[in-house]
Amino acid sequence: MTPYTEDELKKKIRGGYILESPEEMTPGYRRALIVQLTVQADTELMSAPAYWFAARHAPSTNTQVSAHAIIQDELAHANIAYRLLEDLGVSKEQLVYGREPHEFKHPYGFDQPLDNWAELVVANGFFDRAGICLLGDVHRNTSYGPLKRALVKVDMEETFHLRHGEVWMRRLARAGGAATELLQRCVDWMFPMTIEWFGLPDDLKHHSGQLDYKLKGLTNDELRQVWMSSTVPLCESLGLSVPAHYDEDGDEYVLEYPFPCEYDPDAKRWLFEDGEITWQAVFERWKGRGPMNEIYVDSVRRSRGSVTSWLN
Amino acid sequence: MRTGLGEDVYEVFARKNRGEPLRHIGYIDAPGDELARVYAWKTYDEENWFEMCVVPRGAVIPVNRVEGPWAGNVPEGTHGP
Repeated sequence: MTPYTEDELKKKIRGGYILESPEEMTPGYRRALIVQLTVQADTELMSAPAYWFAARHAPSTNTQVSAHAIIQDELAHANIAYRLLEDLGVSKEQLVYGREPHEFKHPYGFDQPLDNWAELVVANGFFDRAGICLLGDVHRNTSYGPLKRALVKVDMEETFHLRHGEVWMRRLARAGGAATELLQRCVDWMFPMTIEWFGLPDDLKHHSGQLDYKLKGLTNDELRQVWMSSTVPLCESLGLSVPAHYDEDGDEYVLEYPFPCEYDPDAKRWLFEDGEITWQAVFERWKGRGPMNEIYVDSVRRSRGSVTSWLN
Repeated sequence: MRTGLGEDVYEVFARKNRGEPLRHIGYIDAPGDELARVYAWKTYDEENWFEMCVVPRGAVIPVNRVEGPWAGNVPEGTHGP
């Protein structure tokens, strides 16, 4: 039983209190932490098949090794997050093997196919950067001790993934011709995909308690700005165009397209010309999941049943 | 304590360099000691550890705290240190 009321716990946390075990949690804290960890674990897990399918496009044995090292990291991160959930009384077995593919909580970006080497390295440069923004913020601010410790490893490795992405983006950008054109096409669909990943703007967001419980430190809009403050200058330095710029007057990055807007997953194209849509419509699209959802989920668990039956 | 595929939880401890403390760095699920060693080494590969070891969660006996993952291992009838 928790020794605190919700308000008492929030006050203690504001004073720097770190929780070490579920017994100290209030129901509200536990619920918010489970939601956060489930999104984190599912995102790491689903990045693995997305990268794994794409790793087949690696241009050498060396790059195969790098791509697979990244996949190995992502699976380890998923495993660690599910393990933390298990210590909160949530079954990893149920989460990984008991849900329908559409019930996983990863972002829509990891329901998309990565069809060539350029798409994989831009995913490392954009998606893994988003991971660093989100989890780095959690690492610095979380009031849950076991998560803070687990993220030491995760942050270190996500930085390697990002470097892999940036080095290869630079290489493709310098090559010119078809390589640069392909890179630009990746940026065109993956930049808005990552922007959307950070979720509802602050003025529309319901109060989730994640900030009150210090499960994170920055808001969605702040995190989106942090991501853009690295990504926009990177792309500009590589001669790639992105639909955003820094606005000196407002001291912030500003999007140059209707946000949010509709996406055509078959054409891998954002329908800027159709204008702004509601967040309700975005949630519907996310809920419907993307083209690779079932394939990716199946790829990480298809042999589970048969191996379990051999062993039992 | 057993999880899917008949696995147990193992605590992972590691020391980065000579002269440094052995730190608790995480945990893994494994169906036995041999695979626990392999999984720990492959999972926590972010450093070139000087020393790493694994301990079955059930073997950690708390001395002063009765909460947390090892709470169930407090010997019956004991109260505090």
